[in-house]
Amino acid sequence: MIQVIIDGKTCAAEEGEILLAVARRNGIDIPSFCYEEALAPYGACRMCLVEVVKGGREGITTSCTLQVTEGLDVLTESPEIIRLRKALLELYLAQAPRSESIRALAARYGVTRTRFTKKTVRDDPLQNRCILCGLCVRVCRDVMGVGAINYIGRGQFTEINTPFFEENETCQGCGACAEVCPTGAIAIEDIAPNRIMKSWSGTKVPLKTCQSCGRYFAPSPFVDNTLEKLDTALKAALQDLCPDCKRKEMTRQAILLSTGTPLPMK
Amino acid sequence: MGLATCGIAAGGDKVFAALKNALSQRNLQVLLTRTGCIGYCREEPLVSIHLPGKSLIILHRVAETDAEKIVEAVAAETVPQDLALCRVEEWDPIVGEKLVFGTGFEDIPVYDEIPYFAPQRKIVLRDAGLINPEEIEEYIAVGGYSALHKALTAMTPEEVIEEVIASGLRGRGGGGFPTGMKWNFTKQEKSLQKYIICNADEGDPGAYMNRNEMESDPHMILEGMLIGAYAIGAREGVIYVRAEYPLAIQRLTRAIAQARDYGLIGKNIFGTDFSFELTIAEGAGAFVCGEETALIASIEGKTGRPRPRPPFPAQKGLWGMPTNINNVETWTNIPVIIQKGGAWFSRIGGEKNSGTKVFSLVGEVQRVGLVEVPLGTPIQTLVYDVGNGGIEGRKIKAVQTGGPSGGCIPASLFDTPMDYEHLTAVGSIMGSGGVVVMDELTSMVDTARFFIGFTNEESCGKCVPCREGLKHMLMLLDKILVGKATESDMATLEELSGVIKKTSLCGLGQTAPNPVLTTLKYFRNEYDAYLKGVP
Amino acid sequence: MEPQRLEEIIGRYPTPTGKILGILEHIQREMGYLPKDVLKLLAKRLELPLSELYSIATFYSFFTLEALGRHVVTVCMGTACHVKGAPELVASLKHHLGVEMDETTRDGKFLLTTDDGEYTLTSARCFGACSMAPVLRVDNKIFGYVTPERIPSILKQFGWEGNHH
Repeated sequence: MIQVIIDGKTCAAEEGEILLAVARRNGIDIPSFCYEEALAPYGACRMCLVEVVKGGREGITTSCTLQVTEGLDVLTESPEIIRLRKALLELYLAQAPRSESIRALAARYGVTRTRFTKKTVRDDPLQNRCILCGLCVRVCRDVMGVGAINYIGRGQFTEINTPFFEENETCQGCGACAEVCPTGAIAIEDIAPNRIMKSWSGTKVPLKTCQSCGRYFAPSPFVDNTLEKLDTALKAALQDLCPDCKRKEMTRQAILLSTGTPLPMK
Repeated sequence: MGLATCGIAAGGDKVFAALKNALSQRNLQVLLTRTGCIGYCREEPLVSIHLPGKSLIILHRVAETDAEKIVEAVAAETVPQDLALCRVEEWDPIVGEKLVFGTGFEDIPVYDEIPYFAPQRKIVLRDAGLINPEEIEEYIAVGGYSALHKALTAMTPEEVIEEVIASGLRGRGGGGFPTGMKWNFTKQEKSLQKYIICNADEGDPGAYMNRNEMESDPHMILEGMLIGAYAIGAREGVIYVRAEYPLAIQRLTRAIAQARDYGLIGKNIFGTDFSFELTIAEGAGAFVCGEETALIASIEGKTGRPRPRPPFPAQKGLWGMPTNINNVETWTNIPVIIQKGGAWFSRIGGEKNSGTKVFSLVGEVQRVGLVEVPLGTPIQTLVYDVGNGGIEGRKIKAVQTGGPSGGCIPASLFDTPMDYEHLTAVGSIMGSGGVVVMDELTSMVDTARFFIGFTNEESCGKCVPCREGLKHMLMLLDKILVGKATESDMATLEELSGVIKKTSLCGLGQTAPNPVLTTLKYFRNEYDAYLKGVP
Repeated sequence: MEPQRLEEIIGRYPTPTGKILGILEHIQREMGYLPKDVLKLLAKRLELPLSELYSIATFYSFFTLEALGRHVVTVCMGTACHVKGAPELVASLKHHLGVEMDETTRDGKFLLTTDDGEYTLTSARCFGACSMAPVLRVDNKIFGYVTPERIPSILKQFGWEGNHH
């Protein structure tokens, strides 16, 4: 174990641990959109910037990519960090004007308006809420092993969708994408007998019916590929959940299953 | 006949065909061959004539219709003097013995009396325009692969790295990191497999020295890589070339095949334990792939989106293995350093800036082309002595160096030495060595907008400051250019520039605002004029 | 593209280094673009998600998913060319070829094909022929020091008869 200093507070950590994780464990909330413990650090959203004061390469860096070493001393809310974070939040407000989570975080920093032109795309499949953090792409490909969606194009013209903007036959309808999305951009609706991935070119995934009561409860390919791997205790625990929470929990469990990182049930 | 891409585009292929045709009608002992480009692109097509014992004569602006005249002159053992640019009595290919062409034709000016060539010192372009880049024998004849032989048979890998460190050579791709130290990082990693990569994804618009280096003398790159691989302990190398350079790819491919035939690539090179394989991977049009982690992703068949460092490529690079990446021009210096010694190399150029750099002098300047000068040569030498100033007497206003990551330097600062530190101090960078000249008719606001348009298009779109920030910078610049911007838009533009520089994930975003920041610094008056409406 | 031909192309890239881009470039050179059915077949063959290939095809500007005209006119948009008048060349070419840019398309990037499928007008970032800026390329031939006045005579070398207004 080593000791690092975050905002003046001494925290214990394993050498090489990600600073963002150490901070969160110690109750220091560094904002971030693209970080997910189960996935490799990505460094795209730039919200988790911190200032290294001592014990490392001094200056500004992302805490999701910073591996801690003995004596590391960082500030997560220095005046410069706050200034940069506010500017980035203005960019986010313009890019995802419909996202409530972005608005809430911006408000926390006193940013209530943006100087930049807001994105307003009519019929945007991602509801003018997507910030291209890539969590959905990564969870679909790296965790679920499916890769139904990906980035399309580059630069300011980047978007996320299915190839050729067509209904995708590999999508399992698991909803992991919506589960990890930090801005609530991904729309999914169950209209029997299908689950409709509204954001993903209207991809339809057949739902499975309950053998006992005959109600639709989960997408067939997902059940066949993933749920079968869950142990019986978990299956039992899932029974007590409402359909919405059940979907979320199943997704979480699927992530666990593929990464081996144990997460407690919410 | 100079037949690099520039020479061909200037009509060199037609001249070559006409010469071939004219020669076929006579029974002469003449060898007609193709070379790369000596760098004086404005004067192309260029034809060099060597008669036994006589000076090498370089003819310029040769037209198809001159072919008959040239062949007639050669048949009479002379040259068409009216087409002559200069003569070369002897040439130093540096790694090999001096080439003595001969004397004669004293009315024609000597090569180093020509103002375009006078300030130049050719190390990288030592063979360009003189040898046939498609024949390995010609490269060997000017001392090629002798440095590799020396390294493999008389030096340890450590000694090779020491020599490169002693030379003070710094990365020619832009960063200027000391090459020998960089090699050491990869060398020190413990791994059964290591890679070296030649970054030939020359992406800066306005820079084309790497293209010429590959087209005119591909073997020097191969030799540099072989020496580097030996020093670092890599058995495999990749040359990552942009797809826009088909002739470079063709000549490199041929060079690799010839080197393999000669046993210079493959197993047990020169009978030693050292074995090396080299392949070419083609880029597909993405500027961001000049960034090392994006370049590696691209070779691995992924989209070229940079990833956070660490781990550095020296630790985890291509296919997860330690990887050393250098730019084309960096590799070309290696054989010279090994053959002549690090100390010899370090005496050329300025302090902490040893060696030469090839600059592409283009834009609104009279004499355009590739210019190789010692590092530390002032901008004015390039623009006025080599370039002969503005076109039709127009006043030169600025130069833009370093491509989209660089900045615009005003004429008042033309005494700035062109080296890594001084260019950075005035807000620009060395980059890959593009020098685009702008005269009094060029709008600096439009120039800034051009570069932001470029980086906005080429941003990979991964991180928000670069993707969203550049988009909004472009919108603000467009607002300025139509005369609708306010003082507060200007303040937003400046603030946003700073935020993008500080918060972007990779070098593209961290430097993209430079053209705006430097024009704001040096040409604020041009922006202000737009605030009052379109000038 | 016949599946057999695709197999041959795949066979030319035995090592993983440079393989995927190499195969896609090969297809692009042979077909002039990346047809949807070929990409789908390739994804199956390489056991890659189609989304991965589609992502690559839309990321790199070398690739196009639309069939191109018989002749491709590419205007270099490098710095030197910009300073020396590339935008005027684009305007002139659009006029002579009778193609118009959709205002909503990308900033510096465009791909415009004449109605008869004879010509495609597009842009490139830099050919590295900056010394003779402004530069354009028709198919594989590069033209330097181009002025708007020279455009008709260049196009005529590629069968243009002034009938695309």
